[in-house]
Amino acid sequence: MSDPVLLVLASLADGDKHGYAMMEDIEHFAGVRLGPGTLYGAITRLEQRGWIRPVKSAEDRRQPYTLSADGRRYLEEQLSGLNQIVRTGLKRLKHA
Amino acid sequence: MRRIALWLAAGLYPGWWRLRYGSELDALIEDADVSFLDLFGVVRSALEMRMTTNNTPRIAELTSRDIPHGYELETAVEYPREDGTKILVRQFYREVDLGDSYVMLSHSSRGSEPAQTILVSGKKGEVAGDFRSDQTEMFVLNADGTVRRTEQTVLTSLKYAAYSERLREKYREGMKSGLTPDEIHRRIVTL
Repeated sequence: MSDPVLLVLASLADGDKHGYAMMEDIEHFAGVRLGPGTLYGAITRLEQRGWIRPVKSAEDRRQPYTLSADGRRYLEEQLSGLNQIVRTGLKRLKHA
Repeated sequence: MRRIALWLAAGLYPGWWRLRYGSELDALIEDADVSFLDLFGVVRSALEMRMTTNNTPRIAELTSRDIPHGYELETAVEYPREDGTKILVRQFYREVDLGDSYVMLSHSSRGSEPAQTILVSGKKGEVAGDFRSDQTEMFVLNADGTVRRTEQTVLTSLKYAAYSERLREKYREGMKSGLTPDEIHRRIVTL
Protein backbone atom coordinates (compact mmCIF):
# COMPACT_ATOMS: atom_id res chain seq x y z
CA MET A 1 0.00 0.00 0.00
CA SER A 2 1.61 3.27 -1.05
CA ASP A 3 -1.33 5.69 -1.33
CA PRO A 4 -0.05 8.78 0.56
CA VAL A 5 -3.58 9.71 1.65
CA LEU A 6 -4.15 6.35 3.35
CA LEU A 7 -0.64 6.32 4.83
CA VAL A 8 -1.16 9.74 6.43
CA LEU A 9 -4.58 8.73 7.79
CA ALA A 10 -3.13 5.49 9.16
CA SER A 11 -0.32 7.42 10.82
CA LEU A 12 -2.73 9.86 12.47
CA ALA A 13 -4.95 6.99 13.68
CA ASP A 14 -2.25 6.44 16.28
CA GLY A 15 -2.35 10.05 17.56
CA ASP A 16 -1.72 13.66 16.49
CA LYS A 17 1.53 14.27 14.59
CA HIS A 18 3.31 17.03 12.68
CA GLY A 19 4.80 16.54 9.20
CA TYR A 20 8.20 15.17 10.20
CA ALA A 21 6.71 12.80 12.82
CA MET A 22 4.30 11.45 10.16
CA MET A 23 7.16 10.97 7.73
CA GLU A 24 9.16 8.98 10.30
CA ASP A 25 6.13 6.98 11.44
CA ILE A 26 5.10 6.01 7.89
CA GLU A 27 8.63 4.91 7.06
CA HIS A 28 8.65 2.81 10.24
CA PHE A 29 5.29 1.03 9.82
CA ALA A 30 4.95 0.87 6.02
CA GLY A 31 8.55 0.95 4.83
CA VAL A 32 7.61 3.83 2.52
CA ARG A 33 9.39 7.16 2.62
CA LEU A 34 7.09 10.03 1.69
CA GLY A 35 9.03 13.08 0.53
CA PRO A 36 8.06 16.56 1.77
CA GLY A 37 6.18 17.40 -1.47
CA THR A 38 4.19 14.16 -1.50
CA LEU A 39 3.44 14.40 2.21
CA TYR A 40 2.20 17.99 2.05
CA GLY A 41 0.23 17.25 -1.12
CA ALA A 42 -1.62 14.55 0.85
CA ILE A 43 -2.04 16.81 3.91
CA THR A 44 -3.55 19.55 1.70
CA ARG A 45 -6.07 17.18 0.08
CA LEU A 46 -6.99 15.61 3.41
CA GLU A 47 -7.59 18.96 5.08
CA GLN A 48 -9.68 20.17 2.12
CA ARG A 49 -11.84 17.05 2.39
CA GLY A 50 -12.22 17.60 6.12
CA TRP A 51 -10.60 14.26 6.99
CA ILE A 52 -7.82 15.81 9.09
CA ARG A 53 -7.56 19.15 10.85
CA PRO A 54 -4.76 21.13 12.49
CA VAL A 55 -4.62 21.15 16.27
CA LYS A 56 -3.31 23.88 18.52
CA SER A 57 0.40 23.75 19.05
CA ALA A 58 2.98 25.80 20.90
CA GLU A 59 5.08 25.89 17.76
CA ASP A 60 3.45 27.30 14.60
CA ARG A 61 5.94 25.89 12.08
CA ARG A 62 5.63 22.30 13.22
CA GLN A 63 1.88 22.06 13.00
CA PRO A 64 0.35 18.82 14.33
CA TYR A 65 -2.74 17.33 12.69
CA THR A 66 -5.51 15.15 14.02
CA LEU A 67 -7.89 12.70 12.37
CA SER A 68 -11.51 13.92 12.10
CA ALA A 69 -14.53 11.66 12.59
CA ASP A 70 -15.07 11.60 8.80
CA GLY A 71 -11.40 10.77 8.25
CA ARG A 72 -11.56 7.90 10.72
CA ARG A 73 -14.67 6.55 8.98
CA TYR A 74 -13.02 6.79 5.54
CA LEU A 75 -9.88 5.03 6.81
CA GLU A 76 -11.95 2.24 8.37
CA GLU A 77 -13.84 1.70 5.10
CA GLN A 78 -10.67 1.63 3.01
CA LEU A 79 -8.82 -0.68 5.39
CA SER A 80 -11.68 -3.14 5.66
CA GLY A 81 -11.78 -3.23 1.84
CA LEU A 82 -8.04 -3.91 1.71
CA ASN A 83 -8.38 -6.50 4.45
CA GLN A 84 -10.94 -8.38 2.36
CA ILE A 85 -8.58 -8.38 -0.65
CA VAL A 86 -5.65 -9.59 1.50
CA ARG A 87 -7.68 -12.40 3.08
CA THR A 88 -9.06 -13.55 -0.27
CA GLY A 89 -5.62 -13.39 -1.87
CA LEU A 90 -3.97 -15.39 0.91
CA LYS A 91 -6.73 -18.00 0.86
CA ARG A 92 -6.39 -18.44 -2.91
CA LEU A 93 -2.62 -18.75 -2.66
CA LYS A 94 -3.01 -21.54 -0.11
CA HIS A 95 -5.33 -23.46 -2.43
CA ALA A 96 -3.15 -22.92 -5.51
CA MET B 1 22.69 22.63 -1.06
CA ARG B 2 19.82 20.11 -1.52
CA ARG B 3 17.91 21.86 1.24
CA ILE B 4 18.36 25.26 -0.42
CA ALA B 5 17.17 23.81 -3.74
CA LEU B 6 14.06 22.46 -2.00
CA TRP B 7 13.32 25.79 -0.32
CA LEU B 8 13.62 27.50 -3.70
CA ALA B 9 11.33 24.91 -5.29
CA ALA B 10 8.82 25.46 -2.47
CA GLY B 11 8.46 29.00 -3.86
CA LEU B 12 6.65 27.45 -6.84
CA TYR B 13 3.57 26.70 -4.76
CA PRO B 14 0.66 29.11 -5.34
CA GLY B 15 0.16 32.03 -2.94
CA TRP B 16 -2.82 30.55 -1.08
CA TRP B 17 -0.85 27.37 -0.47
CA ARG B 18 2.31 29.20 0.71
CA LEU B 19 0.20 31.24 3.11
CA ARG B 20 -1.39 28.18 4.62
CA TYR B 21 1.36 25.52 4.53
CA GLY B 22 4.55 27.32 3.49
CA SER B 23 6.15 27.66 6.93
CA GLU B 24 5.22 24.06 7.80
CA LEU B 25 6.87 22.73 4.64
CA ASP B 26 9.97 24.86 5.31
CA ALA B 27 10.20 23.38 8.83
CA LEU B 28 9.85 19.84 7.42
CA ILE B 29 12.63 20.45 4.88
CA GLU B 30 14.74 21.75 7.78
CA ASP B 31 14.08 18.61 9.90
CA ALA B 32 14.17 15.84 7.27
CA ASP B 33 17.12 14.26 5.56
CA VAL B 34 16.23 15.41 2.05
CA SER B 35 17.39 13.99 -1.27
CA PHE B 36 17.42 15.29 -4.84
CA LEU B 37 14.42 13.03 -5.51
CA ASP B 38 12.53 15.13 -2.97
CA LEU B 39 13.20 18.16 -5.14
CA PHE B 40 11.17 16.58 -7.97
CA GLY B 41 8.46 15.67 -5.44
CA VAL B 42 8.17 19.28 -4.30
CA VAL B 43 8.10 20.63 -7.88
CA ARG B 44 5.43 18.09 -8.89
CA SER B 45 3.33 18.83 -5.81
CA ALA B 46 3.66 22.62 -6.38
CA LEU B 47 2.44 22.23 -9.96
CA GLU B 48 -0.48 20.08 -8.80
CA MET B 49 -1.46 22.76 -6.29
CA ARG B 50 -1.28 25.40 -9.02
CA MET B 51 -3.78 23.37 -11.03
CA THR B 52 -6.07 22.91 -8.03
CA THR B 53 -8.73 25.50 -7.43
CA ASN B 54 -9.34 26.20 -3.80
CA ASN B 55 -12.56 28.14 -3.84
CA THR B 56 -14.69 26.26 -1.34
CA PRO B 57 -15.84 28.30 1.65
CA ARG B 58 -14.96 26.72 4.98
CA ILE B 59 -17.13 26.97 8.08
CA ALA B 60 -14.67 27.82 10.83
CA GLU B 61 -17.24 28.16 13.63
CA LEU B 62 -20.93 27.41 13.94
CA THR B 63 -23.01 27.50 17.09
CA SER B 64 -26.78 27.14 17.22
CA ARG B 65 -28.92 27.70 20.30
CA ASP B 66 -32.64 27.25 20.83
CA ILE B 67 -34.20 30.21 22.65
CA PRO B 68 -37.84 30.84 23.68
CA HIS B 69 -39.88 31.11 20.43
CA GLY B 70 -36.83 30.95 18.18
CA TYR B 71 -33.14 30.27 17.77
CA GLU B 72 -29.74 31.93 17.56
CA LEU B 73 -26.91 31.15 15.20
CA GLU B 74 -23.28 32.25 15.33
CA THR B 75 -21.11 31.53 12.31
CA ALA B 76 -17.64 32.28 11.04
CA VAL B 77 -17.05 31.34 7.40
CA GLU B 78 -13.77 31.64 5.51
CA TYR B 79 -14.14 32.60 1.85
CA PRO B 80 -11.12 32.22 -0.45
CA ARG B 81 -10.28 35.26 -2.60
CA GLU B 82 -8.77 35.22 -6.08
CA ASP B 83 -5.34 36.28 -4.79
CA GLY B 84 -5.24 33.17 -2.59
CA THR B 85 -5.93 34.99 0.69
CA LYS B 86 -9.07 34.32 2.70
CA ILE B 87 -11.67 36.61 4.15
CA LEU B 88 -13.50 35.74 7.36
CA VAL B 89 -17.19 36.60 7.54
CA ARG B 90 -18.68 36.50 11.04
CA GLN B 91 -22.39 36.61 11.71
CA PHE B 92 -24.71 36.53 14.68
CA TYR B 93 -28.32 35.79 13.76
CA ARG B 94 -31.39 35.63 16.00
CA GLU B 95 -34.93 34.85 14.94
CA VAL B 96 -37.94 35.07 17.26
CA ASP B 97 -41.43 34.05 16.15
CA LEU B 98 -44.15 35.74 18.18
CA GLY B 99 -47.15 34.13 16.51
CA ASP B 100 -48.58 36.79 14.24
CA SER B 101 -45.28 38.67 13.99
CA TYR B 102 -41.54 38.00 14.11
CA VAL B 103 -38.21 39.71 14.71
CA MET B 104 -34.88 38.90 13.04
CA LEU B 105 -31.55 40.36 14.06
CA SER B 106 -28.35 39.95 12.08
CA HIS B 107 -24.98 41.35 13.11
CA SER B 108 -22.14 40.66 10.68
CA SER B 109 -18.62 41.67 9.78
CA ARG B 110 -16.57 40.94 6.66
CA GLY B 111 -12.81 40.86 7.17
CA SER B 112 -11.60 44.15 8.58
CA GLU B 113 -14.62 46.09 7.25
CA PRO B 114 -16.88 47.74 9.86
CA ALA B 115 -19.63 45.50 11.21
CA GLN B 116 -23.23 46.05 10.20
CA THR B 117 -26.42 45.22 12.08
CA ILE B 118 -29.78 44.55 10.44
CA LEU B 119 -33.01 44.39 12.39
CA VAL B 120 -36.20 43.23 10.71
CA SER B 121 -39.62 43.13 12.28
CA GLY B 122 -42.43 41.59 10.29
CA LYS B 123 -46.18 41.20 10.58
CA LYS B 124 -47.43 38.00 9.00
CA GLY B 125 -49.97 38.50 6.23
CA GLU B 126 -52.11 36.44 3.93
CA VAL B 127 -51.04 33.01 2.67
CA ALA B 128 -51.20 32.12 -0.99
CA GLY B 129 -49.83 28.69 -1.92
CA ASP B 130 -46.34 28.22 -0.45
CA PHE B 131 -45.89 31.93 0.22
CA ARG B 132 -47.05 34.46 2.78
CA SER B 133 -47.22 38.17 2.19
CA ASP B 134 -45.60 39.99 5.14
CA GLN B 135 -45.38 43.67 6.04
CA THR B 136 -41.80 44.29 7.16
CA GLU B 137 -39.78 47.11 8.57
CA MET B 138 -36.00 46.83 8.15
CA PHE B 139 -33.35 48.88 9.95
CA VAL B 140 -29.74 48.84 8.78
CA LEU B 141 -27.56 50.06 11.66
CA ASN B 142 -24.18 51.16 10.34
CA ALA B 143 -20.90 51.37 12.27
CA ASP B 144 -20.82 55.18 11.85
CA GLY B 145 -24.08 55.49 13.79
CA THR B 146 -26.34 56.10 10.80
CA VAL B 147 -29.57 54.13 10.38
CA ARG B 148 -31.41 53.30 7.17
CA ARG B 149 -35.05 52.35 7.51
CA THR B 150 -37.09 50.54 4.83
CA GLU B 151 -40.70 49.41 4.88
CA GLN B 152 -41.84 46.84 2.38
CA THR B 153 -44.17 43.94 1.65
CA VAL B 154 -42.20 40.75 1.14
CA LEU B 155 -43.13 37.24 0.07
CA THR B 156 -41.94 34.71 2.65
CA SER B 157 -41.54 31.05 1.67
CA LEU B 158 -43.43 28.81 4.06
CA LYS B 159 -41.15 25.92 3.10
CA TYR B 160 -38.18 27.86 4.47
CA ALA B 161 -39.16 27.32 8.15
CA ALA B 162 -39.37 23.55 7.67
CA TYR B 163 -36.08 23.52 5.74
CA SER B 164 -34.39 25.65 8.41
CA GLU B 165 -35.62 23.30 11.15
CA ARG B 166 -34.29 20.26 9.21
CA LEU B 167 -30.87 21.91 8.94
CA ARG B 168 -30.76 22.67 12.66
CA GLU B 169 -31.77 19.09 13.42
CA LYS B 170 -28.86 17.84 11.24
CA TYR B 171 -26.56 20.24 13.08
CA ARG B 172 -27.66 18.93 16.49
CA GLU B 173 -27.16 15.31 15.35
CA GLY B 174 -23.71 16.16 13.97
CA MET B 175 -22.60 17.89 17.17
CA LYS B 176 -23.75 14.87 19.21
CA SER B 177 -21.62 12.61 16.99
CA GLY B 178 -18.57 14.78 17.65
CA LEU B 179 -18.33 16.25 14.12
CA THR B 180 -16.89 19.71 13.50
CA PRO B 181 -19.18 22.41 12.01
CA ASP B 182 -17.36 22.09 8.67
CA GLU B 183 -17.85 18.32 8.64
CA ILE B 184 -21.55 18.82 9.39
CA HIS B 185 -21.79 21.35 6.57
CA ARG B 186 -20.07 19.01 4.10
CA ARG B 187 -22.46 16.24 5.11
CA ILE B 188 -25.51 18.49 4.69
CA VAL B 189 -24.49 19.73 1.24
CA THR B 190 -23.85 16.19 0.04
CA LEU B 191 -27.27 14.92 1.21
